[in-house]
Amino acid sequence: MSADIGALPTEAAQKSLGQFALRFRVSGVLAFLILLSAGFAVLRPQFLTPENLSAILSNAAILMIVAAAQAVILITRNLDVSVGSIMGFAAYLTADYASRHQDIGPALVLMPLAIGGALGAFNGLLVAYGRISPLIATLGTMSVYRGLTYVYARGQEVTSNKLPHWVNVLPDMRIGVIPVLVLLSAAVVCVLAAFLRFYPLGRRMYAVGSNPEASAFFGLRTQRIVLLAYLVGGAMCGLAGFLYAARVGTVTVVLASGWELTSLAAAVIGGVSVTGGSGNVIGAGLGAVVLATIDNGLVLLSVPEFWRMFIQGVAIVGAASADVVIAARIRGSLRARRQRGRSGR
Amino acid sequence: MSQRLPQWELTLIVLTLAAAAWSATLSPYYLSVGQILYSTRQFVYPGILSIGLAVVVILSEIDISLASTLAFGGVLFSKFSAFGVPIWLAVPSVVAACAALGTLNGVLVARMNLPSLAVTLGTMGAFRGLAFIIGSETGYTSFDDSYLFIGSEKLFGALPVSFLLFLALAIAIGALMRWTVFGRRCYAVGRNKEAAWAAGIDVARIKIEAYALAGGLAGLAALVWIGQYGSARGDNADGAILFVVTAVVLGGVDINGGRGGILGVVLALFLLGTMRNGMGLANIGGPTQTIVLGALLIVGVLRPAIFRAVRRLYRLLTPRPPTHRPRGGPRSQSDYDRRTQGQTRKFAHMTRRNT
Amino acid sequence: MTLRPKLLAGACTLAAIGLAVSGALAKDSGFKIMMTPKWTGFPYFEAAARGGKDAADELGDTFVYAGADHADVSLQVETLQNFLTQKPDAITLAAIDLNAVAPVLKEARKDGIVVTTFDADAAQDARDMFVNQMSYKQAAKTMLDCALMDSPDGGEVAFVAASPTAPNHTAHIKFMKEYIANDPKYQVFKVVDTQYANDDDAKSYDVAVNLMQAHPNLKVIISSSAVSAPAGARAVEASGHAGKVYSTGFALPDAIKTYIKDGSEKCFALWNPYELGYLAVYATHLKLAGKLDPKPGTTFKAGKVGEYTVGDGGEIVYGKPLMWTKDTVDKSPF
Repeated sequence: MSADIGALPTEAAQKSLGQFALRFRVSGVLAFLILLSAGFAVLRPQFLTPENLSAILSNAAILMIVAAAQAVILITRNLDVSVGSIMGFAAYLTADYASRHQDIGPALVLMPLAIGGALGAFNGLLVAYGRISPLIATLGTMSVYRGLTYVYARGQEVTSNKLPHWVNVLPDMRIGVIPVLVLLSAAVVCVLAAFLRFYPLGRRMYAVGSNPEASAFFGLRTQRIVLLAYLVGGAMCGLAGFLYAARVGTVTVVLASGWELTSLAAAVIGGVSVTGGSGNVIGAGLGAVVLATIDNGLVLLSVPEFWRMFIQGVAIVGAASADVVIAARIRGSLRARRQRGRSGR
Repeated sequence: MSQRLPQWELTLIVLTLAAAAWSATLSPYYLSVGQILYSTRQFVYPGILSIGLAVVVILSEIDISLASTLAFGGVLFSKFSAFGVPIWLAVPSVVAACAALGTLNGVLVARMNLPSLAVTLGTMGAFRGLAFIIGSETGYTSFDDSYLFIGSEKLFGALPVSFLLFLALAIAIGALMRWTVFGRRCYAVGRNKEAAWAAGIDVARIKIEAYALAGGLAGLAALVWIGQYGSARGDNADGAILFVVTAVVLGGVDINGGRGGILGVVLALFLLGTMRNGMGLANIGGPTQTIVLGALLIVGVLRPAIFRAVRRLYRLLTPRPPTHRPRGGPRSQSDYDRRTQGQTRKFAHMTRRNT
Repeated sequence: MTLRPKLLAGACTLAAIGLAVSGALAKDSGFKIMMTPKWTGFPYFEAAARGGKDAADELGDTFVYAGADHADVSLQVETLQNFLTQKPDAITLAAIDLNAVAPVLKEARKDGIVVTTFDADAAQDARDMFVNQMSYKQAAKTMLDCALMDSPDGGEVAFVAASPTAPNHTAHIKFMKEYIANDPKYQVFKVVDTQYANDDDAKSYDVAVNLMQAHPNLKVIISSSAVSAPAGARAVEASGHAGKVYSTGFALPDAIKTYIKDGSEKCFALWNPYELGYLAVYATHLKLAGKLDPKPGTTFKAGKVGEYTVGDGGEIVYGKPLMWTKDTVDKSPF
């Protein structure tokens, strides 16, 4: 949503506008989530048990991180369909390394971050400096990264018994009733959200996404910002891949293939605009929770598998529609505010 | 109107010939007319989808639900065959039904102004779910022979009928895009939708028509699928959409709309087909093939960037007499225009609004 | 006496010619056998390929192994088509969709190529033989036996399969339900749910978690897919249900070693994929050499893996399940 600003609003009006818009974007998906949960809870009371809710959050945790990564890139008006391949590559290399250096400590986590960041940066180079359309560039790197994973793996998979013990245990440890994995994912999403909201570089990403040309004229280093967005996104995917491996135990070469569309779906449901410049990572995280809730609810209700795909598809279309309706409403209210401002003078 | 594209098409032709030569060295089985024609069968159903997608992309939209529409069409065909419906009745009905699905996409995108990537992401799942729901658990296999004709038969012993169908469709849609009012309008809308609207073109209607066309073509692709594989299940063609998108962009159709043509897409399909066929005959592993094709896509699109880098390098290295340039910024309108254009060109690929 | 040497010479020449001709007609080695799995890069299929290669080497044949990197029907058909063009003597495959590969396999057979399926069958008239790891009934029984080992008192069970369109998994589930209904040994179980996980580990994990939430009294999750069983075990352990809920089914030993060793799981099953591949190629070779006619009742010896009998419809049952328990999980023969 690029607000068509005729006269620049005053400082105070700007602040409340920003807050108002932000609240609105997140509250859309939040409302949807609450409605969905209420519906399931009514039909199956066991939906609301802390255990079940914790299970939903665990299932959503890794997708939350990937959706957040995708959101950062979407905000700059680009996209990344190679997220699944980045996850797989980072996860496999890290797991393979760990299986041969069993005594490695938590410093291991730096490895998937670095690998993911490097792969993401390559994507960023292609898009920002190579001027290739993001869809094409990441479509190509998706294949290349996945293929490289294969070549590296040579027909093997890394099973959980070969991973260091702390890696296997980490995702399941709980603080109270909430698994560490969920807290970790939530922390990552919150840090990213804070970065985008308060850190100048983060705000600039929104600017670039709203209008890349204008931001360049304004003096922003657009290309570098896009590169950084991809780098951050890639690093997050690497981390997510590592957590995926830790959670599921067996690290195969096809790890996370298909996650590109799922992460996109989660981001879209969360109100992140595909045309860039609006939405936030918290929404994307909530979008991931929505998808996990639908999955969980359908199993509880014993709905046949086929309907699940159908319902998820409808949810995405519904979320996109809600997004557009909300954006239109915001534009309308902004316009009304401006009229009032002008006429009141 | 598409212009200055013959360069890319020529490049594709050269690459295809090079790929053919390379394939011939990779495997002694490659160079046989019968074999090459037979191998085209693999690319007919993605090819038909690509033609439909190309029309939508020229309009600066996208449709990633086409593979799901194919699955839906296939399953619908199976229902018709089970009820003994004759083929000349089944084909128009299924094509119409698939076009209806496409129309739904179009309405959501054009009338409700939803971003097409998001919408078709959703309908991709919804249509496939629909295909599963109709197709039920096991799918269907005992088709009437008439249903299988297009996908499985060969004329004169070597020319697959499905390949002929593909060529016919390519020529038809290519002509549609180049020589009819509809085609011209598609390019206009793709280039600048506001200007097109101002010029009196019904933008919403054209988009809906294009989506419907793509849907209908997916229905035909389903017919080919059934003939080729003899089975219709909800999970048919799952994942094919990425290949279809690859073919379209490799074919020179600009993802931002308004540029490119069907000819490029067809040539790109030939190129991809030749490479896959050659590598397959040499029993090169799937993963290696994936890397090669991914790299091909990137390099293919990087071509202008490579030229630019080479040119810049050349200019750096060759000594030139210093030009007298007044300090202090642009002094004339043309100076200013040049600066602006440079910036605009840098971000043109990110400027898309509608995808 | 000049006639007898002449006769002898003549007879020897005739015999020599006869031998040479028959030798040329009945080739018994040097065949070209090509194998393609459902997808490459999966240790299970890689083991089968190793078995096939060893069999081919032993018998003096050439062996080619190729395939796509993910389970895609059209890619598998493309691979088979490319195989066809290279004019092998035989093709072995594990079919992703039994009907989709039928047209190209039938064409292969028309050209005189011997087609053998293993692990997952194709349409019966599209192949000469099917080397089945176990009959579906035996597979069902093995998984139920494992479940009994996990929970001797029975209880609620849920099935996890790849997809509703996977013929072997649906057959397993059908027979398991039959056994539970009719066989007194298994009547302690009660089927409460069937879910699908597409051979994807994250999905299998999530499905297992959701199943445990949906059915609080669930005792055993039985997975036909070797991807889902270990993921299920992981989910059980991670959610703290170890000892209350069990995950079992078919799995590669490396994938479930930790769970068996730490006691959260008691039993998984599989068979030796190396021997499966070996058997498939060996039987194919025998057919090519004219030493095996796959009619029901024929017995044959397949090198180091033993003797087998051809069953109905050209099905050769390998039938040697391996159960992974505390004592056996380290001693995997492949």
